[in-house]
Amino acid sequence: MSHVWSDEIEEISRRLRMAELLGGEEKIRRQHDAGRSTVRERISELLDAGSFEEVGALAGFATVADDGSTVSVMPANFVFGLGSIDGRRVALGADDFTIRGGAADASIMAKQVDSERMAGAMRVPLVRLVEGTGGGGSVRMIEDAGYTYVPANPGWDSVVENLSLVPVVAACMGPVAGLGSGRVVMSHFSVLIESIAQMFVAGPAVVRHATGEALDKEQLGGAEVHRRSGAIDRIVPDEKAALQAIRDFLSFLPSSVYELPPVIAGAEPATSADTLADVVPRNRRQPYRLRAILDAIFDAGSNFEYAGYGASVYTGLARLDGHPVGVIATDPYKGATMTPNGADALTRLVDLCETFHLPIVSLTDQSGMMIGLQAEKTASIRRGARAVVAAYQARVPMAEIIVRRVFGVGGAGQINRHRYNRQWAWPSGDWGSLPVEGGVEAAYRADLEASDDPEALMATIHQRLEVARSPFRTAERYGVQDLIDPRRSRELLTRWVRDAYRVLPELVGPPSFGTRP
Amino acid sequence: MSDVRAELTASVFKVEVAVGDQVQEGQPLLVLESMKMEIPVVAPRAGVVGEVLASEGEVVDEGAVVVRLAD
Repeated sequence: MSHVWSDEIEEISRRLRMAELLGGEEKIRRQHDAGRSTVRERISELLDAGSFEEVGALAGFATVADDGSTVSVMPANFVFGLGSIDGRRVALGADDFTIRGGAADASIMAKQVDSERMAGAMRVPLVRLVEGTGGGGSVRMIEDAGYTYVPANPGWDSVVENLSLVPVVAACMGPVAGLGSGRVVMSHFSVLIESIAQMFVAGPAVVRHATGEALDKEQLGGAEVHRRSGAIDRIVPDEKAALQAIRDFLSFLPSSVYELPPVIAGAEPATSADTLADVVPRNRRQPYRLRAILDAIFDAGSNFEYAGYGASVYTGLARLDGHPVGVIATDPYKGATMTPNGADALTRLVDLCETFHLPIVSLTDQSGMMIGLQAEKTASIRRGARAVVAAYQARVPMAEIIVRRVFGVGGAGQINRHRYNRQWAWPSGDWGSLPVEGGVEAAYRADLEASDDPEALMATIHQRLEVARSPFRTAERYGVQDLIDPRRSRELLTRWVRDAYRVLPELVGPPSFGTRP
Repeated sequence: MSDVRAELTASVFKVEVAVGDQVQEGQPLLVLESMKMEIPVVAPRAGVVGEVLASEGEVVDEGAVVVRLAD
């Protein structure tokens, strides 16, 4: 049956079908051959089935016949809209590499800008699947336009504001440069797919021309570069893992700063609390397995590793009887001190928790900031101090279990020790302004030099210090709130987290500072 | 061959394996020492030690390849 608007209604359908064709069969085949999915396949994989409501599908570049009729429309290479992940609404913006390699000049920039605005205005998390080059397009555009312009990053008023408003997650789904890289790192959590994706400020050709460095894209910005660079939070093996990491990350966070973190049904820990009575070796030189501690304290399956570049500084998210919390800990298998990158990881986690109202649990084992020439050259003290500032600016409730060491400026500032926090220490706790080991010679030099038997004296001094450094001595002076049987850790934390969640409603709203990447 | 790297700048305290040894996943290949802590470098997978690129007492940099594993 014909309607008044039948022709136009049919034309809308025809144009929507054209938008589905992306860059055409040949380009799609090339995308698949490179081990990458198309933008539409990724959207289907990430979002709940049938939930995607696209915005601006008709925007594109028309081919017009002599009679003025539209032959075809090549869609913009940026697809966005609203959808759901596990029933919760999210905004999604994704680049289409099959059209001009995802280059921003073919994206219809207003769509990108609107995707950012939508997330902020609708108070929903924003997911960016980035696979494209910079915002400037190619130099050829200058000739086409006949003029140049003073650049402003498109939509960055919203991009900046969103960091203090809604969870922002970004994934490098292929090679990413320039503005694309900016869109990746302007986020609370970023992922990069090993050997499929690369990220750089400028790609190999520009770098070769500018600096003479001859590197391929993997050498310049691949997984091996970003595993330790601090620019990317998580390296993942494939697209499926990238999208899963995004889903997992968002499951811990509220939809915006105006809501509380989602509490779900709790789960028992994966392993028995008995592990905790043995996990830390009596020999202080020997490492312990952090995973064993996490598995015995937090809900089974809830441990989510956050910033992968922190070396010995473990940053994570987890649940205590269904309540999301931030987790700070130490992985002794990855180092002995807080590296500058570890400090950055810590800053990022604490800022994330303050922004989205997650209480923080510190499983403290911190011997302080990294020392040595390399550490000094990379601003160990300032970047460490920045992490301390983050801890002091955060208003969310914090609890601490001292697992082992608390030394130095870094150890002292891992949580804000100038306000009320719940604090427990295991019998393996070992703390002070500086560790006894290595300090004895300096402190007792005169005595040792005057001694007939310095070795025996040294042994006696060590013995005396060993008694003085007992955590029981500290507990007697109330230098630590409670020494506990490690096996009670979960029980105590679970009770604490319920109290902490009662405090959270008054923190709802923007964070105590503007969040920076 | 796959590379096993040092997670941190540290001195090599002990080398636990030699070329040709069959190792299991998680087995310590060498032990680093930093800040009075012993930090094992473990095999990321089972395999045969193809090359050992660090010796006791030597300082290795963060990210340096210390062992190469063959299948």
